[in-house]
Amino acid sequence: MINLTEATLVVILLSVLLSLGSTRLMALVQIMALQGVMVSLTPLLLKHNEAFSSGAIIFYQVMILIKGILIPGLLYLAVKRVAIKREIEPFVGYHASILVGLGLILVSVFITNNLRLSLASGNDIVLITAITTMASGLFLMMARRKAITQVIGYLMLENGIYLIGTALTNHTHTIYVVEFGVLLDVLVGVMIMGIILHNISRAFDDVDTTLLGRLKD
Amino acid sequence: MIELVFLLPLVAGLAALALPSGMSRILLLCTALLHLQLTVMSWMGKLTPAFPQFFSASPEGLLILLVTSFIFVCISIYAFSYIEETEVENKPVFNCCMMLFLGTMSMVTLSDHPIVLWIAIEATTLVSAPLIFSHRSTEALEATWKYILICSVGIALALLGCFFITLAMELGNIDAPLTFNSLNTVAAQLDPVWLKAGFIFVVIGFGTKMGLAPMHTWLPDAHSQAPSPASALLSGALLNCAFLGIYKMDVLMNVAGLGEFSGNVLVGFGLLSMIVGAIFIIGQPDYKRMLAYSSIKNMGVIAFGVGIGGFAMYGAFLHLIHHSLIKSSLFLSAGNILLGFGTKKVQRIGGIINSLPKTFVSFFAGFVGISGLPPFGLFISEVIIIIGAFQSKRYISASLFLFGLTLVFAGAGRVFMSMSFGESVEKVQVGEKMLRLIAPYALLLASLTLCVWMPDAIYTAINQAIATIGGTIHG
Repeated sequence: MINLTEATLVVILLSVLLSLGSTRLMALVQIMALQGVMVSLTPLLLKHNEAFSSGAIIFYQVMILIKGILIPGLLYLAVKRVAIKREIEPFVGYHASILVGLGLILVSVFITNNLRLSLASGNDIVLITAITTMASGLFLMMARRKAITQVIGYLMLENGIYLIGTALTNHTHTIYVVEFGVLLDVLVGVMIMGIILHNISRAFDDVDTTLLGRLKD
Repeated sequence: MIELVFLLPLVAGLAALALPSGMSRILLLCTALLHLQLTVMSWMGKLTPAFPQFFSASPEGLLILLVTSFIFVCISIYAFSYIEETEVENKPVFNCCMMLFLGTMSMVTLSDHPIVLWIAIEATTLVSAPLIFSHRSTEALEATWKYILICSVGIALALLGCFFITLAMELGNIDAPLTFNSLNTVAAQLDPVWLKAGFIFVVIGFGTKMGLAPMHTWLPDAHSQAPSPASALLSGALLNCAFLGIYKMDVLMNVAGLGEFSGNVLVGFGLLSMIVGAIFIIGQPDYKRMLAYSSIKNMGVIAFGVGIGGFAMYGAFLHLIHHSLIKSSLFLSAGNILLGFGTKKVQRIGGIINSLPKTFVSFFAGFVGISGLPPFGLFISEVIIIIGAFQSKRYISASLFLFGLTLVFAGAGRVFMSMSFGESVEKVQVGEKMLRLIAPYALLLASLTLCVWMPDAIYTAINQAIATIGGTIHG
């Protein structure tokens, strides 16, 4: 029988590598939608033997809705509006980026093994995935020029942090209202970033962040 | 129902969107006054939290709430006139965001749950971004983009820090609600390694928001591009709120017996921010950017004072109050000058003493205050911090601290002198107006009054806030 948790995590890892290698912005948005759904499913799979309260079920549904549909939908609109299809001349090339992604996986394995945490079985793979996702998000923000890719990098970072939260804690302390607040912040954040993106593309006819370099000392 | 303190401005802010701009600025003023009243009521203990698992009234939180509320009243009087005279597109949105900003900042001061605190601080970023973008220029666009991206990433790291704290709780087998109050009672059982890791991430995350070097890069851009009332709020209120997040973690570290580690981290960041602020003030061609770098330096002073501990901690809290009052007054005066001359360049402005005499008084008095000269409060607080540093035998840190203060004085002095007495290239286009002068004067007067006579309630609040971790108000 296929281990569902591990399969999900592998899909997340693959989505990270894919996003590092993809040139087309639309493809990136689709990858983010997939990643969002997978990340929201992970805590459900990790706790398959526990009974769910009705609050938990509603919360996970809302989470899949926000991470899998609403946020990618906003990104989709943003990409359509700015009418830019691909990332040209990134600071770090695509092949090099994938190589960096593979390197990050190795580093995360190394870190996880060295933490010597007494994690529940299977959680160490979650931690590896989480650290890789987080680090790749940060890398994507630094290695690409387009403002929209930077927003996607931020989302990946957020996904990674969320995964770390699920891997490390048993959710006895966190209350769903609180997690919902975090999610809402991210959603509004992406919305505002989208509005600014739209304004950047209107002012400069492009969303290249190297154009944003006037303010300095 | 202490939650009213932040629910009221949030609701009023959303209501402002539906009103025409004339009505919404009256609503802004009314909200500010009502908020001050609610704040005073919570000081008197008339309001109790309805959700004690998320919110509570801590002395340090109430202190920052009072400062924020008072500054906001002054700023809303100023904005009442300022916004009509400048090119701010979509005034209802501006007023709405001002009120939402007040609401989210009040939420920061009252939250007791680490993740609720995180949510509130991230929300302050989101609602203040439209304020920075008010002028709709390409520079404002760039500043907003940097602000929202750098702060969001920084604050995301703080969330990671919060998760590490919950991990530290689990490893210590603690079954207590996740609030700062209950964490402080069981701090000794927390896992020290993960607590330290959590502290580092929280300092980096909220330090980005507070403007500690080297994570300060968004701050000068955002402060210089925002309209002056918004800059005054960012500098006088927002930075304090981010500091509150760091302070609550520092208290937890101290109670857990890791005070030396957290103190050293804060002293390091504090000194670095002071030096970076000082270096960029020297030769700064833009006076609003200069004020922004001065904020970085002053946040460094506060972090330094808290890191030293003991008597210096009292100085840090005094510094926080007086910096908020004086710096927001200075940003409002700078707004008058910007409105009058229409430029932010120091070189093109001169002779304010003749052309804008009433603004000159508040601008120059603000300079005297911010440089740490008597009779204003920053003099007292900086002296207390230096005494505290010498008491705890940190001679090298104390001399670096003094060096930083001298550099800032030299750099800022040049700017203020040439603007006040030098030759002017530009002509004054917009004159002074009573409504735009009351606020900077009132803020300076408040700082002056607090030096001579401090209400007992504020004394006790500071004492309660710092007593748990060995701070004292008796040198």
